[in-house]
Amino acid sequence: MVIRSHALIADLMTQEKIHGLAESGTIEEFIKRLSGTQYEGITIGEGGDPSITLEKEFYLKFIERMTKIVDIAPKKLGEFLQAYYYLRFEMINLKRILRGKFSELPVSEILGYLIPMEPYQVPDYEGLVEAETFERTVDMLGDTPYSGVEASLEFCKQYDVLWPMVQSLNHLYATAVLKSLDSLPRRDRTLIRNILRFEVNVENLLNAIKHRRMRQDDEEDRRLEELFPITFDIDLHQIRALIDSEDLKSAIEDLGEPFSDILTPIYEGDVALIRARVRRHTLKIVEQGRSVNDFGFNVIMAYLIFSELEKDDLVGIAWGITQGISAEEMTKYLAVA
Amino acid sequence: MSATTGIRPTKGYLMEMKRRIGFIERGTEFLKLKRDHLAKELTTSLDELKGRRSKLLENLRIAYRAVTAAYISLGPTEVRSQASSIKNRLELEVLPRSVMGVRYPYIKVEKEPQIAGELDITLSEAAGKVLGILEDILKLAEFEARAERIADELGKTNRKVNALENTIIPRYKRIIKFIEDKLDEESLEELVRMKLIGGALARRRV
Repeated sequence: MVIRSHALIADLMTQEKIHGLAESGTIEEFIKRLSGTQYEGITIGEGGDPSITLEKEFYLKFIERMTKIVDIAPKKLGEFLQAYYYLRFEMINLKRILRGKFSELPVSEILGYLIPMEPYQVPDYEGLVEAETFERTVDMLGDTPYSGVEASLEFCKQYDVLWPMVQSLNHLYATAVLKSLDSLPRRDRTLIRNILRFEVNVENLLNAIKHRRMRQDDEEDRRLEELFPITFDIDLHQIRALIDSEDLKSAIEDLGEPFSDILTPIYEGDVALIRARVRRHTLKIVEQGRSVNDFGFNVIMAYLIFSELEKDDLVGIAWGITQGISAEEMTKYLAVA
Repeated sequence: MSATTGIRPTKGYLMEMKRRIGFIERGTEFLKLKRDHLAKELTTSLDELKGRRSKLLENLRIAYRAVTAAYISLGPTEVRSQASSIKNRLELEVLPRSVMGVRYPYIKVEKEPQIAGELDITLSEAAGKVLGILEDILKLAEFEARAERIADELGKTNRKVNALENTIIPRYKRIIKFIEDKLDEESLEELVRMKLIGGALARRRV
């Protein structure tokens, strides 16, 4: 399986290939250039936004890759990978369902936003989407492992906001992944833990910056521990300092590497670069993991993470091409390029 | 048909015509004042429009770049899903305002959407930039409507002034001249008639 993962990594797109795709010019040319790759056979059909169709196709391709790995992986590893990815995608779907129900979007529109995958820990997505109200959808989640979101319902209703529930889902995801790590041998946990720690740290910092912008009131002050239930390298004290600081630049610099570097775009102006830097740092963590052990779990995980980043880049490129964005402008925000 | 067809060449009618032309000339002067004021307002509005438009275009470019970056970073579906969660949408009130009797719309922002909490920081930044230029866009729309309506009114006023100066007033003047000529002619005839009658009476007395 490890040897196969090495081979599969070699089959992933190189930086040059991604650059070449970004320079396609038209969506037809983009699909033509994809034909010589693992994405051969992708079509956009007629009507609708081709970038949305392609996004779904890229997700399907990634899920197919992940399922193939799960199928050949030893039982515990397979279970972990399934939990890790299916949980991650189900979280995205649940957030999209909750957003849609919260703003009373039509059922068809909400369903159109979902990642094309089988439900993992909920009975079905259609039931949640077709519930009469937002409250009913949250109530239905009460019978699933996501019952924790119910606790934030009152706060959401009181302030007519959704973000507490989204944060609650993020918390549930991090807790579930940390718990599922127990099923892995101790030596294999480090890479996932490092990635998760990094993701939680960054999300906490970005949420802190959002709270700083929202000019948090007393209610939120009291709820800081509830808002940031999981912290790793960046503790509540640092989060508080970031929220309260008069000078954002110095507060970010005080966080130290890698966060000070990743968050630099906040005061330099191009905030979207943060996501690209986060992805690139994830790549770095994976490479570091491989340098420690290139003949075990880390290689399998590296293949899946590289694959996911490749999918994200292709989704961005497809959208950029449909909008006539230059390759140079696009590649700034990609992870692999 | 001549301007003088059907005109009663009487002193009473002449006085009425003179009163009317006096009124029309005063009205024309007022319209000229209005025309000059509207022209001044239009020039100011166009200068303002030009300045606002170039500033807005630059800000739009910045906002568009931020939106583009958010789409590339998050993917189109995620952006649409997050954007749909904004419940408090923008609420506007359009009120009427007037300059020299020209009504134009004045746009007032009643409620701005709360974007910071619900969106990813990338999208929140882009939305913030778009929201930031929203007031500029509304002001520009207001100035465009204002300039358009002032220009329209200026055109109408100009046509009215031209019509009054070139058609109505000359016509009235022709009528007045016609009546005056008629009256002079009549008084001359009357004088001749009186003279002839006077002469005839004098000859009869002799």
